[in-house]
Amino acid sequence: MGMGLIKYDIEKYSPQQLVIIPLVLLVISIVLLAFTTINTGMPLTPGIDFSGGTAVTVITSDTPAQIKATFTDYPLIDISEGVNNGKFLKFSSMDDAKFRSLTTLITQKYPDAKIDQIGESFGKTLQYQAVIALIFSFIGMAIVIFISFRTFVPAGAVVLSAFADMVMTAATMNIVGIPLSLGTVAALLMLIGYSVDSDILLTNRVLKRQGKLNDKLTGAFKTGIIMTSTTLAATAALFIVSWFGSVQILMEISAVLLIGLVFDILNTWLTNAGILKWYVLKGGGK
Amino acid sequence: MNGPELKALVSDWRVAALIILIFLSVVAIFPHIDQQGNMASNLQYGLDLQQGSWLQLEFRAEVVGFTSDRPVGEFIANLSEKLDTEVILVDATHLEIRKYYSQADLEPVFTAAGGKITTYQQGVSKATAEDVKRILENKINTLGTKDAKVNTLTGMNNIARYIRVELAGVDMKQAQDIMGKQGKFEIRVQTAGNESEHVLFGDAITSVQNPSQEPAGSDRWGVGFTLSEAGAAAFRNGAIKYGATTDPEKHNLVMLLDNNTVYSAPLSQDLAGKLQAENIRQLYASTGSGKAGTTQATNLEIHLRAGALPVDVSIAGSGGVSAPLGERYKTMALLAGIFALITVGLVIYFRYREPSIVLPMVLINASEIVILLGIISLIKFQLDLPTIAGLIAVVGTGIDQLVVITDEILHEGKVPSPNLYLKRLSRALGIIVVAAATVVIAMLPLALMDLSTLKGFAIITILGVLVGVLVTRPAYGKIIMQILSK
Repeated sequence: MGMGLIKYDIEKYSPQQLVIIPLVLLVISIVLLAFTTINTGMPLTPGIDFSGGTAVTVITSDTPAQIKATFTDYPLIDISEGVNNGKFLKFSSMDDAKFRSLTTLITQKYPDAKIDQIGESFGKTLQYQAVIALIFSFIGMAIVIFISFRTFVPAGAVVLSAFADMVMTAATMNIVGIPLSLGTVAALLMLIGYSVDSDILLTNRVLKRQGKLNDKLTGAFKTGIIMTSTTLAATAALFIVSWFGSVQILMEISAVLLIGLVFDILNTWLTNAGILKWYVLKGGGK
Repeated sequence: MNGPELKALVSDWRVAALIILIFLSVVAIFPHIDQQGNMASNLQYGLDLQQGSWLQLEFRAEVVGFTSDRPVGEFIANLSEKLDTEVILVDATHLEIRKYYSQADLEPVFTAAGGKITTYQQGVSKATAEDVKRILENKINTLGTKDAKVNTLTGMNNIARYIRVELAGVDMKQAQDIMGKQGKFEIRVQTAGNESEHVLFGDAITSVQNPSQEPAGSDRWGVGFTLSEAGAAAFRNGAIKYGATTDPEKHNLVMLLDNNTVYSAPLSQDLAGKLQAENIRQLYASTGSGKAGTTQATNLEIHLRAGALPVDVSIAGSGGVSAPLGERYKTMALLAGIFALITVGLVIYFRYREPSIVLPMVLINASEIVILLGIISLIKFQLDLPTIAGLIAVVGTGIDQLVVITDEILHEGKVPSPNLYLKRLSRALGIIVVAAATVVIAMLPLALMDLSTLKGFAIITILGVLVGVLVTRPAYGKIIMQILSK
């Protein structure tokens, strides 16, 4: 039995060596997000859910240039193309009359379209709620972790890993251009929940089992990496299908989860494992 | 596994509970072939998986907490006049102002009227929101649109800021037309038999009150409404000209909405007398007593408004999906689910290489989806795209926890004694419970928020975790033990 693909040689490295890579990445991510915040006022580019505007999905063989020509009278800001002729159009906010005439045009020209329009003030309300949800969710997670471990360093390590997952994922979203939408906020919330389960397994194995530290770490890795791989497999399936099917909301949710899960592997087996190793070597957990 | 072993396994309460739940879920989902020969089930689909449109409306009004030393009635009348709109007392300390003003705009007006604002929030009271909901439903029904849903989104403080209308089978253009359409309301006076003469149109009505009893507590119901100056003059002229003031019994007052009679009754002797002398702006239409009277009054109120709402609304957001795209999304969602289950199965097989472990895992995983779909059917929850993402996430994480159980039990490759097995199982369940608790906590804010369309996603994720922890994981623990001890 065994994967045998990835070798996890935790013995060779000191806690400092384990932690350094994710730490550097975390710092870069924070700097990147801070830089974006200074430039745009928000750490991530808001999608129309939060900034207001209209999103239209059409399945058409028309080229972007043709589409642009069709909507020349309207504030079209972006056209992106999926596979299978899926086209995603984005319009900035417009008044009611303009929007009604846009709907008429779309229903005439592309009767099979999907239209979503969010007003600016409604978008603000949604954004405010999303921020509240993220904060409460994170605090709630931290409370559960601290209650269940009741020791500061191991619990802190889990919370730090989850935090690093979120920040690195957000920074990557920034780089690859995934906007912050209701869907991606949900994905980030899910990461808060799911990124901690391999951390919990790791901490449990290391602190509550008998045996040599390195054996316990390797054993935990064997189980933990499979856990993350199954979730990765399910999300990858979702991503591929929604990409081929041009289902934007599922595409965004699964893309963020994929990014987050990759960082989760890094943060669980380097950040969290590194801190735990240091804690146990110092005599903690006895 | 031989007969007696299988029997013992099935009669274990954990396994039995799982089997019963799966059975009940299939009954609840009720997959069948309908009369047209199509696959059908009790599952309800959200607007993104079938043709339909939604509109989210925002109330252009506010609920304000206040204090004032003046008598409340006087204070409200004063405010109403200055703000040029209806001001309604919600409870002892809150007013509903039916026109949009910012807090900064309101403050000087309140000070001048001898009061102070303590809280301010855009929206309307729950009662008004329910009123609006009724009016919208009525309007949609009269236009023959079936399968419409109107939901007020009321916060914890009983103030509703938004109302959401979902119209299945209607495209966005039609939805906008329906919501924008105002009925034509008219008052006429009967001249002889079926003949009547025009008196005024709905635009002469400046406000319509809620149904009330006249006199109070008499159980005699009716609706008060107010005419503009010009309307009151037209009403008096018409009533006199066509004989309604001198012989009310023969000259009924007839109200029509879109040319259908919605109310017909004579003027009261008292009103007929007063109208001879002067213009009357404040009128009251009686509808009778008891339940019939109340119902009629409620309907008349809506008719008097001609489908117009007591509060202005603006469109906060809207959207729609066409039938072919909805179908496509449905297919994609199904594909994604099956594909996810297969890839997860492959990963697990790659790890354990043992069909007798992999098969139960994948089956348990699939059973969780069946149970969740059963619950969804039972509570009439709408299956939409985010909910499906939640379901697929359940596949991915559900199997995680089965891996934790398997690895804990299989620790060091040896099959443990029953005693040790129980100890290890409870240790595995300990890990699972903490992980489950964090997922529930992380999703809770989203599940509690009314605004977000992602409520479904959050609720399904939470339900999935609960079903897993309470039913399927313990059952799996039992099943895997049986299989391994062979």
